[in-house]
Amino acid sequence: MADNEDTGASVSEPLDLVRLSLDEIVFVKLRGDRELKGRLHAYDSHCNLVLGDVEETIYVVEEDENEQETTRTIKKQEEMLFVRGDSVVLISPQA
Amino acid sequence: MLFFSFFKTLTNQTVTIELKNDIRVRGILKSVDQYLNIKLDDVEVLDLAQYPHLSSVKNMFIRGSVVRYVMLPRSEVDVGLLEDATRRGK
Amino acid sequence: MPQAAALQNFVRSIRLSTHPPPPSFHSTPPFLPLPPFDQRGMSFFGFDTSLPRDRGRGPGAKGFFENSDPFAQVALADKFVDGDAVDFEDTYDGLGDQLDDDQDEFNDDTFGGGGGGGGIGEAAPVGRDFDFFGRTAGVADAIGEEQVRYSLQNPQSAPAPAQRAPPPATDPTESTSRRTGYEKYSEPGYIPDLQAKSSVWAQKVEPSPAPAPAPAPSRKIMSLEEVEALEAQMRRGQPGGRLPPQQMQQIQQMQQMMADPYQRHPQQFPTLSDGFHQLPPELQAQLEKGGMPPPPPGMPELYGGPGPAIPPGAPFLQNNLPPQNMPPQPSRHAGLPQGQRPQHMEQQLPPPSSRAPNNGLPVITNPQQLLHLTEEQRNAYLVEDAKRAKRNHKIALLSRGNGLMTPQDKNFITRIQLQQLVAAAGNVADADPEAVLAEDFYYQVYSQIRGAPRQHPHQPLGHFAQTYLLQTGNRLGGNRHRNPLQGADNHMQRMQQQVQRAVEAAKAKPKNKQLIIEGSLGKISFSNAKAPKPMLNIKRPDSSEGPRPKKVQSELSLSDRKSILTNIERVYSALMSMEDMERTMPPPPEEGDAEAIQKHMEWRQELHGLNQKLWKALKVMEPIVPNSTTPHPFIAFLSHAKGKKAIPRIFRHIDQEQRVTILTMIVVHLDSLDVVRLAQSMPGEAQPSMAVRETIDLFSLAVMPSLLQYVNEAPFNIIIGLLGLVIAQTHVQSVARTKVGLGILTMLLSRAELVKEAGQAPERDWQQWVEKFNVLFDTLEPVLADIFPGSINSGDDMYVWQFLAAVGIGASPEQQQRLVIAVKDRVMETVGYSKSLPADMASQRLGNVNLFMRAIGLDVELLG
Repeated sequence: MADNEDTGASVSEPLDLVRLSLDEIVFVKLRGDRELKGRLHAYDSHCNLVLGDVEETIYVVEEDENEQETTRTIKKQEEMLFVRGDSVVLISPQA
Repeated sequence: MLFFSFFKTLTNQTVTIELKNDIRVRGILKSVDQYLNIKLDDVEVLDLAQYPHLSSVKNMFIRGSVVRYVMLPRSEVDVGLLEDATRRGK
Repeated sequence: MPQAAALQNFVRSIRLSTHPPPPSFHSTPPFLPLPPFDQRGMSFFGFDTSLPRDRGRGPGAKGFFENSDPFAQVALADKFVDGDAVDFEDTYDGLGDQLDDDQDEFNDDTFGGGGGGGGIGEAAPVGRDFDFFGRTAGVADAIGEEQVRYSLQNPQSAPAPAQRAPPPATDPTESTSRRTGYEKYSEPGYIPDLQAKSSVWAQKVEPSPAPAPAPAPSRKIMSLEEVEALEAQMRRGQPGGRLPPQQMQQIQQMQQMMADPYQRHPQQFPTLSDGFHQLPPELQAQLEKGGMPPPPPGMPELYGGPGPAIPPGAPFLQNNLPPQNMPPQPSRHAGLPQGQRPQHMEQQLPPPSSRAPNNGLPVITNPQQLLHLTEEQRNAYLVEDAKRAKRNHKIALLSRGNGLMTPQDKNFITRIQLQQLVAAAGNVADADPEAVLAEDFYYQVYSQIRGAPRQHPHQPLGHFAQTYLLQTGNRLGGNRHRNPLQGADNHMQRMQQQVQRAVEAAKAKPKNKQLIIEGSLGKISFSNAKAPKPMLNIKRPDSSEGPRPKKVQSELSLSDRKSILTNIERVYSALMSMEDMERTMPPPPEEGDAEAIQKHMEWRQELHGLNQKLWKALKVMEPIVPNSTTPHPFIAFLSHAKGKKAIPRIFRHIDQEQRVTILTMIVVHLDSLDVVRLAQSMPGEAQPSMAVRETIDLFSLAVMPSLLQYVNEAPFNIIIGLLGLVIAQTHVQSVARTKVGLGILTMLLSRAELVKEAGQAPERDWQQWVEKFNVLFDTLEPVLADIFPGSINSGDDMYVWQFLAAVGIGASPEQQQRLVIAVKDRVMETVGYSKSLPADMASQRLGNVNLFMRAIGLDVELLG
C-alpha cells in the first residue's frame, strides 16, 4: 500500500470516496425530494447508510389557490438513522 | 453483511421504521435477516388516523425493500465500532 | 358372423384407443389393482396435451408394437384374469366358441408365445411383474361401462336388445356444450364420466423396441404396418377388407388381451375411424346391430377426425377407466346385445363400497342395474356418483405423487435441506472464528463489549473482542456512547487527582523553601534549555517578540481536505492491520527454537513495517512552516473527529520517541489546534457553540488522556522543553483562555511539581524550569481574570481552578500574592454563588475553589 501512496490506494473506487467521509458530515440526496445532512457512521456497497444527528429536509410542492406552485419544506431531526440504500441518489461530503 | 451484523445488535430495541409509502411504525425489533427484512413486535402505527386499517396490527414482517428509514436509539449504537466495521468492509 | 363380430370389437377397441383421454376427473375402481405408477410423461392433469395433428402417425411414432411384447403374455392371461376380481369363464361371451377352435396352433404366432418365433418375439421378454390384469381389466371395465351408457342414452333399445339400434345421431354442438365442468352431473341423461387414466396414455419407451415384422399374408400377428395396411385397405374400399378367419381371430384376441396397450398408444390407429363408412356392408351392418351409441358427451374433438363424416361406429369410450363401483367387464361384452349379458356376474362381484352412501337407493353393483331404476333413483344415484367422483378426483390429485420417493429419498432430501439451512443461518460454531469475525465483526465485538449474550458462548473469539474492548471501549472511558461527557469527566478527575497530589506534596514542605531556592539561584539564560526533540524541524520566527497571535488560517481547500481525509483513512487502515497483527502475535519463542524465533522475527518485522506506514500517514514529521496559511498536516489530522479518536489507538502502537514527537507537535501548535482556535471565549461572550464544545469534549476525551499518560512518565527536561515551546511558539494568552490550552499547561505544571517534590529534579533543571515559569506567570498575570469561561453560573470552571492550583504550587509567595489579587473576585463570587446552590453542587463548586486555595496555603473556610 505504501508504494502507491500517491495515487491513494484507498480511493480507487467510488465508494472509497465515501469512506473518506466516514465520521464526517455528509449531504445525502434521496428519492422523493428528500435530503439528509448528518454524520456518516456506516455505509455498504448498496449505499445503505447509518447517519447520526441527522436533519431531514422534505420538499413538498403545493399548488395554492392561484394555481401557483410553491415549495414547502419540512424539516425533521433524528439522532440515529438507518437509510436504506435503494432510496439514495447521491452522497456528498461536507454538507 | 455489515448491516445484518449491525441490526442483530439492535434486536429487542425499540425502533421506528419509516416505509417508502410514508407509513411509520414503532415497535420492538424482534429479528432481522440478511435481506434486512424485519420482524416487529408491539407495533404502534404513527399517524394512525391516516391509516385506520392498521389499528389492529400488533406485529408485522416488513420486507426490507420497502423500508426507507429505521430510526434507532443512539445509545445502542457504538459509532466508533461501526465505523471500524465499515472500514473493514464487513 | 363371428369374424364380423370380432372385427367389430376390434374396431371398437381400436377406436377407443385412438383418442386421447378427455379432460375429466380420475376415478379408480377400488377393487382393481392400479396400473403401475409409471406415467412420468403424463401431462399435468393427465390430458394428452398434444394436438391431434401432432400426434404421431405412421411408423415413426412410438407405439404399442414397439414396446414390450404384449402378446407374449397371452399364456399368462388366464392366470391374471381370474381370481377375486373377474373370472374368465364368467365374463366369457362365448364368441370364441363360435370361432374355429382348431387353429390354436397359430396362437403362438399370434401372441408370440414361442418366445423367438415371430418378430415380436424378439422383443425383450416381459418380466414377471407385467401387470396384465391391471392393464386389461381397466379397459374391460370401461367397455362394459360404455355399454351401459349406450343403453341409457338409447332407452328404447334397452328393453329390446335384439332390435336393431338406429344409427346414432352425431351432434358435435351438443357434445361441445357438455365439455367442461361438473354441471353435467345434474343432467338426467348423464352417465358417470369415465376416467382417463393417464398412465395408459403415457408413452413408455422400452429399451429395445421390436421392429415390426414384414407383413405376412396370413397367420401372422398383426404388426403396426399390417394394421395400417388393413386400415388403408378399408379406406380404399378394397375387397380385401374382408379378413381371413385367422386374421379375424387374431384381431379378436388382440382386442381381448391388449386393450390396455392399445390405449397406451392411441396414435397407432389415428385414422381408422375415417374409413368406417367404407367398411364392407356386412361389417357395417354388424356394427350397427351391435348397438352404436351416439358420440359420448365431452369428446367432440375426438370425433372430428379428418374423415368426411362421423361414422356410426364411433367409439364407445371416452375414458378407459370406469367409475369405481362399476364392475369390470371383458371388452368382448361390448358388442353383445343386452340380453346376452351373463347375469351371474353380479354374484362374483364384491359388494358395493361401504363408503358410498346410497340414501336408500338400491345398491348398484352392476351398471345394468341402472337401467332398471326409476328416473329419480337414477338421478339420485348419479348425484351420489358425482360426489364420489369428485372426492376421488381430489384424492387422485392429492395422491398423485404418492410413492414417488422412498423414505430414504426423503431422508436424503431432508438432510440436504438442513445443511442448506445451517449454511444460510451461518452456523458459526464450527466455522473459523476469524472468518466469523470478518463476516460479523460489528455484532461479535459489540456483543463482547456490551456483554450481550452471545450466540455461541463457547466460541473462542474472546481475544479479538477483548483487544477491541481495550481499544475502543475502555480507551475512551467506557460507554461513552451512553454518556459522551462521562469520559471527559473521567479525564478531568484524573487531572484533578494529579493536581491534588501536587498540592498535597507541596503542602508537606515549608513554603519558604521555594523562596530560598529561588533566591539562591542565579539567572539562567533561556538558551541553556535543551530542545526536547532536536529532530523536529522548527524554525524560530524572525521576530523575537515571542508570543504573537497566529495568523488566521484560511479554510482548507477541497483537495487539501481530501488529502487529509485520505491520510486519516490510511492511518486507520494501518491501525486496524496492526490491531489484527497484535492478535496474531506468535508465542514467545523458546531458546533454540529457530523456527519460532524466525516466525517471531518476521512478525516483528511486519509490525514494524505497519508502524512505519502508520507514522508516514500521520505526517507528524512534515516540516513546520512558520506563518503558513495552511495548518500542519498533523494538526489538520487532529482537526477531524476521527483523527482525534485515532490518537489513543495510535499511542498504543508507537514507541516513546514517537509519542513525545506527537506531544511536541501538539504543544508547538497549541494555538493552531481547532479546539484552541475555535474556543477563544471572548470576554463577556457566552460559551463557544455547541459543536465546538463537542469538539473540545472529544479532544479532552480522546487526546488528553494519552498526552497526560505520556507526560506523567516523561523526564523533567522534556517537561521544561515543552513549557519553553509553549511560551516561545504560541500565543499563551490565547491558549490560556481555552480549556484544552489550560489543560496542557496544567499537565506540565503539575508534572513538574511532582518531579520536584519527588526529589528527581536536578538543581540545574529546576532553575531552568523556574525561569520559564516566571515568564509564563508574567505573561498570564494580566489575563488571569479572563480565563474563566463565561459567567459565574455557567458552571464549567473546574479546569481553571485546577490550572490556578498548579500555578499556585509552583509560585513564589510574591507570585501567590499576585495570584490571589488577580482571581479573588472570582473566588468570592463563587463562594457567594455556591450558597444559593443545592448542597451537593455547592460543595462541588467550593471544592474546585478550595483546590486552588489550598495550593497557596489558604482555605475557603477561612473566608467565612
